Amino acid sequence: MTDHTSKSERPGTLDRRTFLKNAGAVGAGAIVASRLSAPARAAAQDATVRPDPAAKRGGTLRYGIHSASAHFDVHQSGTVANIGPQSPMYDTLLRRSPKDGQTIIPDLAERWEIAPDGKKYTFHLRKGVKFHDGADFTAEDVKATYERICRPPKGVVIPRTPLFATVGEIVVVNPHTIEFRMTEPRPKAYMLSSFASGWNIIVRKKTLEDNGGNLRQVMNYPGTGPFKHVERRDKEIWIQERNPNYWNKGLPLVDRLEIYHGFPFSPEHGAAFLAGKTDYARLLDPISWRKAKEMKGVTAGVFNQSVIQAFWTNMQRNKALADPKVRRAIHLVMDRPTLVEVVKDTAPMQVGGFVYPFHEMSTPRAELEKKLGYQKDIGPAVQEAKRLMKEAGYAGGLKNLEFLVRGDIATFKLWAVAIQAMLKEHLNIESNLRTVQTSVWFDEAAAGNFDLAISAIVSSLMDPSDIFSAWYGKGGPQNYSRWSNASFYELTPQIEKELDDNKRRVLVRKAEEILENDPPLIPISYEQIYDAWYDKVHGQNPSTFFGIYDVVRWDNVWVS
Amino acid sequence: MQKYLIRRVLFAVVTLFGVSISIFVIMRVLPGDPLVAILGVEGHARMTPADRERIMADLGLSAPLPVQYVRWLRDIGSGQLGKSFFRGDTVAEQIMHRGPISAEIAILSLIVSWLVGLPVGILSAFRPNSIPDAVARALSVLFIAIPGFWLGMLIVLASLFWFGYKTPMVIVQLWQNPWENLQIVIGPGIVLGLAQGAYIARMSRSCLLEVIGEDFVRTARAKGLKEGLVVMRHALPNALLPVITISGVLLGFVLGGSVAVEQAFGVPGLGRAMVSAVIERDIIVVQNLVLLYAVIFVLVNVLVDLSYAWLDPRIRYS
Repeated sequence: MTDHTSKSERPGTLDRRTFLKNAGAVGAGAIVASRLSAPARAAAQDATVRPDPAAKRGGTLRYGIHSASAHFDVHQSGTVANIGPQSPMYDTLLRRSPKDGQTIIPDLAERWEIAPDGKKYTFHLRKGVKFHDGADFTAEDVKATYERICRPPKGVVIPRTPLFATVGEIVVVNPHTIEFRMTEPRPKAYMLSSFASGWNIIVRKKTLEDNGGNLRQVMNYPGTGPFKHVERRDKEIWIQERNPNYWNKGLPLVDRLEIYHGFPFSPEHGAAFLAGKTDYARLLDPISWRKAKEMKGVTAGVFNQSVIQAFWTNMQRNKALADPKVRRAIHLVMDRPTLVEVVKDTAPMQVGGFVYPFHEMSTPRAELEKKLGYQKDIGPAVQEAKRLMKEAGYAGGLKNLEFLVRGDIATFKLWAVAIQAMLKEHLNIESNLRTVQTSVWFDEAAAGNFDLAISAIVSSLMDPSDIFSAWYGKGGPQNYSRWSNASFYELTPQIEKELDDNKRRVLVRKAEEILENDPPLIPISYEQIYDAWYDKVHGQNPSTFFGIYDVVRWDNVWVS
Repeated sequence: MQKYLIRRVLFAVVTLFGVSISIFVIMRVLPGDPLVAILGVEGHARMTPADRERIMADLGLSAPLPVQYVRWLRDIGSGQLGKSFFRGDTVAEQIMHRGPISAEIAILSLIVSWLVGLPVGILSAFRPNSIPDAVARALSVLFIAIPGFWLGMLIVLASLFWFGYKTPMVIVQLWQNPWENLQIVIGPGIVLGLAQGAYIARMSRSCLLEVIGEDFVRTARAKGLKEGLVVMRHALPNALLPVITISGVLLGFVLGGSVAVEQAFGVPGLGRAMVSAVIERDIIVVQNLVLLYAVIFVLVNVLVDLSYAWLDPRIRYS
C-alpha cells in the first residue's frame, strides 16, 4: 500500500498495474520461480526400476488426483483424469525413471537399438510378462498397440499420432523383438521420448480386436502393470491391488492403491489432503499447498507442467490482428510477472515465451527476462508497442474486439479481466468479454467466432518439434489464430530432422525469434504443478518431472 | 376422490411429458460439443469430419430428433434410463448408487425445517413483536437470504481449519455404516433445512396469527384450557395446511438447492452428478436426472394435495 500512496498522484485513484498486482496479492505466499535443471536427455538401458532395499512392503497408498475420466481409453485421452488412475495398471515400451522423471529407461522393452541412420528402432521385449488376464505379452501386442496409435481406425482419435508420423512399417521380428522402420529419421531424443510417453500404454491385441479398436467404454481392459483393478466408483474412488505376477519382481511395494477423485486446484481436493484423508495429493490449489508446506511431516513439491497458457488473435476475422506489428505490440504490453501474480491463489504459473522456458534449447530464463515483453519493468516494452501500433496505423487503438473466455476455469476469467485492462491502458484496445463453457469455447474457437480467445494447450513432449507442430503448425489443430509464416515453416522441418543437438538449438532459437516478431499466439505463462505428500510416503519426488503424464506408476513407492 | 386422483395422475403425466420434451429439446439446441469432453481438447482438435460422424453415430446423436426421443422413452420404459455417453454406465445405476444419499439429504432437511421452523413460528406468533419474535424474524430472513452453497463452503472450511476434519470422500450408505453416512448427509441436510425452516417459521407465524384471532380459539381459552393445549389441539392443526403446502413447494427448492450444496460439501449425490453431467454435456444423464427431479416434484405435490382431505375434514374431493 506504500507503493500505491507514493505512486498515485490523484487521491483515491489506483493505477491499473498496482490494482492488478494488489488483486493478485490477496492471500499469502509467493510464486515459486522455477529454476529447475534442464531436462536430462539421457537414456539408460541398464536402469530398470528396482525396489528400494530399505523399503517397507505392504500397506495402502491413498492418492488424491482428478480421476473422473470421460472414458477409459488412455490412448484416446489427453487428460490426467485417465492417466492418473489408469497408469498404474499398464506398462509402456520405455519409461521415464521415477527417480528424476527424465532419464529414459527400459520397461517392457528390456533393451533397444537405433540404426546409425536413425531409420530403424529395434526393441527387445521382456519374456515371461503376462497380462492381468493371464495372457502372454508378445511383440504382436506391441504391434497392435502402435499400429493403433500411428494409424488410428475411423472414429478413434489419438492425440499422440503425430509423434509417430514418420513411423512406416512396424515389423514383428519374433515374439520378443519388434522393429519400427521410419520413413525418415528424427532426433533420437524425440523418438525415445515418444516411446516413453506415459500415454502409450501397451494393450493386448485381442482386447483391441474384441472391442473394434475402441476402448472408450471398456473400464477394465487387461494391462501388464504393477497394479490390478479391484473396484471403481465413478467420481469417487478407484481401488487397485498389487499384481502378484508383475514381471518386475519385488515391485510394486504397496499392496493396495486407493485413488480418490479430487478435482484439480479444488478446495475439496486440498481439504482431503490437509485432513489426512489422502497420503499424496497431486494438483493442489496454491492455498492448500502453502498450508501443507507449513505442516509438520509433510513435503510440498513443485514441478513443471506441459501446458502453455495463452490467448489467440484471430487473423482471419480481424484485419488489424493480421498485422504482425499489432500482434507483437499486444505481446509486448503483457505484464507477465503481474499476470502470474493475478492467479497465484488459483494456480501456480511461471513466465515463459513461445517454447517451454525450462527446455534446454529455449532461450535461457535470465536472457529471456532481459527481453522486451518479459521484463519486470514493462515501460520500455510499452514504448516499443506504441511505436509498432503507430507504424501499423493503429495509434488510436482498436475498438470492440470480442474476447472469448473459457468460463469454467478461474484462471482464464481472472486473466481475461487483467489482459482486457492492460490492452486498454497501454494500447487503447477495447474488448468485450464473452464467457462460455469449455465445450462451447472449442466450437467457437474452431469456427473462428472471436477476435481474442483465451485458453491453454498441452503437449505430449517438451521437445520443440512437438509444440511447433501442435501449437503453431500450418493448419494445425490448435492454430486458432489461423497463423502462417513461411520462414517458420521452412525452419521447422529442419528442426525436426536435425540430429545434432547444437545445430538444432541454433535453429530453435531462430524459430523463437520469428515467433517473437510474428506471434501466432500471445503466451501468458506456463503452468506448474503443486504436489504434497506425508513423509510416510517414500520413493516419489517429482521436483524434476515434466508434466503429470509420464511418471505415475507408483510401483517403486512405499509407505512407512 | 377416485375421480380426482385419476385426474391428478393424468395431469401429472401430461406435465412430465412436457418436461421430457422441454429438456430433450433444450439439451440439443444449447451450444457446446459433447465430443470435447469425450476426446479432450487435443483429441477434439485433431478429429476429422469422418471421426465426428462415426462417434456421433455411436452415441446415437446422428439419428433424427424424433427417433432419439422415442429411443429415450424406450430406455425409460426398460428401467435403465439410457447410458452415460462417456463411461457406459446406465443412469439407473447412477441413481441407485447416488440417489439414497440425495434422498437422505432431502428428508433430513425436511425434518430440520419442521423442527426449527415450527417452534420458532409458534413462539413468534404467540409473542408477537416481542424480542424473541424480532430475533426469530431476523434469523429467518437471514437464512432465506444466505445462499446454501456459501454457508456450506464456510462449514467445510471451518471444519477443516479448526478441527482438521473432512467428511468421508466416498459414498457410504446408511445400511453400510450409519455413522459415516450421517457425516456425509448432516451438513447439506442442515444447510438446506435451515433455509426451508426460515420459510416455515414465517409461514407458520402468519397462519397462527390469523388462526389465534378466530372465535374457536377464544372459546377454547374461555373454557379454561391451558395455553399449550390451545396451541397444540386447536390453533396449530388449523394453521398447518399452508405450512404443508409450502413444504411441498420447498421440496422443489431442496432438489434445486442440493445441486449447489452437494457441490459445496463435496457430497457425491445426484445434485453433483447433475453438475458434472451438465459440464460434460452428458445429455442422456442430464435429461434423465431432470426428469427424475420433475417426477419427484410432481409426486410430492399430488401427495400434498391429497393430504389436505386427511388433515381437514371440511375438504372433500369430488
